[in-house]
Amino acid sequence: MKSKQEILEIFGQVISGPMNRYVSEWKKSGKKVVGYYCSYIPEELFTSIGVLPYRIRGAGSKDSSVADAYLSARLCTFVRHSLALALSGELNFLDGVVSMNSCDHIRRGFDLWKHKVKPGFSYFISVPRVQDDRVLFWFEEEMEGLKKAVEDHFGKKVTPEGLKSAITLHNRARILLKEVLDLRKSDSPPLSGTEALTAAVASQLIPEPDLIPLLEDFLAGLKKSGGGKPARARLVVAGGELDEPQFIRNIEEQGGLVVADDACFAVRSFWDLVPENGDPWKSILRRYLFHVPCARMVGALDDRTAFLTSLVKDFRADGIIFQRMKFCDIWAGESHNILWRMKKAGIPILVLDREYQVPASGQVQTRVQAFLESMGK
Amino acid sequence: MAILGKERFEDLEAIHEGITGMLDIYKEDPASRGLNAYFKAFTKLVENLCRPFDDKQPVVWYNLGMSPELILALEGVHNIPLEAYPALQDIVGEVNFTLDYIDRAEAHGLPHEVCSVDKAGVGAVLKGIMPKPSCILGVNTPCDSQMAALQASAELSGAPLYLIDIPYLYGEREVEYVARQIRDAIPFLEKHTGRKFSWERFREICLRANGMSENLLAWNEYRKAVPCPQISKLICLMVPLFITFAGTETGVVTAAELAAEARERSERGEAAVPGGEKIRAVWYQDPVWFDLQFYDWMESELKMVIPMDLFGYHAPEGMIDVSSRESMLRGLAHRFIRVMPMSRQFKGPIEWYLNDYVTLCREYKADCGIFAGHVACKHAWGGLGLLKEKCREIGIPLLVFEFDMFDPRVTSAESIQDQITQFVNNVVLPRIELKK
Repeated sequence: MKSKQEILEIFGQVISGPMNRYVSEWKKSGKKVVGYYCSYIPEELFTSIGVLPYRIRGAGSKDSSVADAYLSARLCTFVRHSLALALSGELNFLDGVVSMNSCDHIRRGFDLWKHKVKPGFSYFISVPRVQDDRVLFWFEEEMEGLKKAVEDHFGKKVTPEGLKSAITLHNRARILLKEVLDLRKSDSPPLSGTEALTAAVASQLIPEPDLIPLLEDFLAGLKKSGGGKPARARLVVAGGELDEPQFIRNIEEQGGLVVADDACFAVRSFWDLVPENGDPWKSILRRYLFHVPCARMVGALDDRTAFLTSLVKDFRADGIIFQRMKFCDIWAGESHNILWRMKKAGIPILVLDREYQVPASGQVQTRVQAFLESMGK
Repeated sequence: MAILGKERFEDLEAIHEGITGMLDIYKEDPASRGLNAYFKAFTKLVENLCRPFDDKQPVVWYNLGMSPELILALEGVHNIPLEAYPALQDIVGEVNFTLDYIDRAEAHGLPHEVCSVDKAGVGAVLKGIMPKPSCILGVNTPCDSQMAALQASAELSGAPLYLIDIPYLYGEREVEYVARQIRDAIPFLEKHTGRKFSWERFREICLRANGMSENLLAWNEYRKAVPCPQISKLICLMVPLFITFAGTETGVVTAAELAAEARERSERGEAAVPGGEKIRAVWYQDPVWFDLQFYDWMESELKMVIPMDLFGYHAPEGMIDVSSRESMLRGLAHRFIRVMPMSRQFKGPIEWYLNDYVTLCREYKADCGIFAGHVACKHAWGGLGLLKEKCREIGIPLLVFEFDMFDPRVTSAESIQDQITQFVNNVVLPRIELKK
């Protein structure tokens, strides 16, 4: 059994760049890897046929200029860095890419994947911008198209049995991550927000059969370990794309403790389970369309507000830090709406813009310090 | 005209004075038939913005990714595009009011990278000058910034919002999907406006929408003539016209006037550019709405004309088959996906954007292209690298500059003039000389 610290070191290595030891082993054994953007693309589909779903990020990119030449400097740095990796060949280990209309930036990024990177397999899904039963049929049709394309390309049939096994595996990982999350409700959580996000991000880059024992050991270690030092303030970090634990560390170094993270790659990616009874494919699709909604889902502000406020309440947070990638319009609108909803609810909130690969800026430190002080902490 | 302006808002008065001032100048000018047609339509738009304050009839807000045919089919309902107020203010009113709307939205927490058009819309809502809506109808085109503004406006107004999801691709399946959602929007509109949707009325509106489209298609065709018979700025004003008046008599008449002027001038061999055009450019992005005189300068100083731009191009897929209810819904779906300027080019794969550019350059015999990079148009900026490659492939030089179509504080008209002048003198004219 590995210790908490050993596992955190493994997770830290896994998320530090595009390739990690588990993907490397996976590839060495002749198996395929498909990269994907966004939490609306069902991992279980790939797992069911023995293909590893790998969530694309920009970690390890030192310079986005090769992507900037195509995408300009007006697109978000997450997309630019991920495309910089792709264009410079650092994601060549991917046997395919699946993207979707998450946002204008990722959509334009896919144009580059198709025209310049040219992976062996690529597919684009049009996911509805509303979370409503009236559009479920469309989502199902889109996913049916993806399923068929995946089957054709990889020469493997997606079966109900395979999907059921995949659901069991992914649910197990989600349950473990939720148990880790639950530990953060305590007065002195046994892990920091930085560590929690490290684990959550790593979980999207490691094959489930390797991941689950690691998470089990991690959870067991956390349960045995004592709590951390009392923090100046308990915080929920919310917002859009967030896969850089250094950003959380920067907050926590000012004395705040991030007890929950309502962000992409974080809680939103593992909160909802796929029901294990019924038609597995339909259950998967329903779970993906109706999971905790991203801000891209128009008309779901009430649900997002309710989820965020429930995190604040359940994790006894003193305030919210709402982070958003600069140039992201989807989360720009959300930051405005959430700011006023939280103000009305009397929940302190700080809205921060940030850039990918610049997680530890002095500006963030200063603003977090001022925010903590404004809360009397 | 209905009671206006000072009695209610100085903002409206600025627009009203701007339009009446323009009409005073141009109404007797036989060479300004198209421009006058616009001003008359804009006068009507001001009336539309005011009337709900007086008649208390229900109002439906909608965003610029769609045209109003569906809303118009509910009798006694006002259709107000969210962006209409600030757009009019920018084009014919007092630009400082627009800047005030933008600043209000930013001060209220809407990040500055959101499109100024959308920020100005939200600012107008914040200022309380928009007639309060019964509900909001939206489409998720042309961009994410629109969605930010749409949701912020819904939040600020408290009005219920129905979104028609426009998918990524365009084909029969996509049209069916959108048509189904348009049908589903009807009970939503009826419920919140308290008005009945009339299929017969919808049919008449679709016929008028077709009439407008026929005229716009003819207009587009006449502007292909060399020399271009009509001034450049007429093209860039088509978007507010289409968004507000598609399906109305005003839309038909205005489009007919534009087409007629272009045809007559073409038949008489008249050119838009005084002394004859030297350069034809396809303006492929947002117009300089904050200073329409910019286009006059381009024509008189550089002898450069814009026969077509991205805002003025009317796609041929817009004709609505009125033979049945289903065919009308499908016709409207075609419009939403594939006709609305920007939505057409930006919503789907990059090929849509590149192909239209190549088509416009070819059909309008462009010597050069101008990528007028509105700072907030991320989907356009995100396609810039591939557009540049396409330009090299077809041998058409491209100028790229950064500005804000609503906000001269980002890049002034003078600065844009400098960049275009350098481009024309150092790149375009020498290439034209070489070809001779």
